[in-house]
Amino acid sequence: MEFLLENILNLIGFLVGLTIGIMSLIGFRNTGSPTLFRLTIAFFSISAGFFVIWIGYMLEDFVIKTGNIERGLQTLGIIIQTVGYFFIAFSHSIKSFFPKSRYFRTVGIFPLFLVSSVQVEHIFRSVSFILLAYGAIETMLSYIENKNRGAIFVAFGLASLALGEFLGWYSFVFPESILNSLSISIKIVGLIALFIPISKIPLKRIKFDSNLE
Amino acid sequence: MAEYRTHMKIIGDILSTTRDDLQDEEGATVTYLIRKANISHSRISRILKTLVSQGLLEQTDVQNSNKYKISQSGREFLQAYYTFTTFADNFGLTI
Repeated sequence: MEFLLENILNLIGFLVGLTIGIMSLIGFRNTGSPTLFRLTIAFFSISAGFFVIWIGYMLEDFVIKTGNIERGLQTLGIIIQTVGYFFIAFSHSIKSFFPKSRYFRTVGIFPLFLVSSVQVEHIFRSVSFILLAYGAIETMLSYIENKNRGAIFVAFGLASLALGEFLGWYSFVFPESILNSLSISIKIVGLIALFIPISKIPLKRIKFDSNLE
Repeated sequence: MAEYRTHMKIIGDILSTTRDDLQDEEGATVTYLIRKANISHSRISRILKTLVSQGLLEQTDVQNSNKYKISQSGREFLQAYYTFTTFADNFGLTI
């Protein structure tokens, strides 16, 4: 059951990330906006991360068949996803803290994170949780400012992914409990919530125009 | 306190003025655009030069005065700008 849920999660994550990444890329190609460029990197990374984990599960299921998921691939996928979450949080940090500074727009702001775990996977899950929680809070604050209803879905989606990451990380403490299945289910709900407002953006009349680059 | 506008937002404001809020059919003068877009002469001059060179604005010389009108590419850009502004808004971001 858990294996099936993981597969569904990783496939949905891959597809949602890819779709939003492509839309961001079209936006960047048409407008040249740095925000859309960061979103492109973010969602292509998130998509690639889910894809790598999904490949790990598929390899285990059809090729290796040891009964244990390849931890190296899983960790790599989580690291790639964390890069994506970082770029979402980074875009918010630029908007909130450095709206007028050209210097801070050009360099990366690498926040410090206090983590106690020794395993790389745990560290990156913790970092993902912080970045997602930050992104959710900033998106919610943006909703309070602009009353854009789409932002509620995105904030809910990011918050669900954060909660899912937290429960996923916590499930290492209680490995045989329902926590991991719950974590995966919450993340699936989060990804669907992320996709809802984006699916309403009309892209039919937008086209690539090489002259605008 | 005045709202901070990104470079992209200023371009959007200039293009929407030249599309929806023209003084006359010949186009908008620099002075009119400065008032509408609320930016300095030196900054708008640089932006207008870029927009004309990119083909988003058409520049005409009427009685020794430059006037600006939006081009077809400019209309397409503006449409994309509005679409992706909504897209970024959903993430609580501005383009």
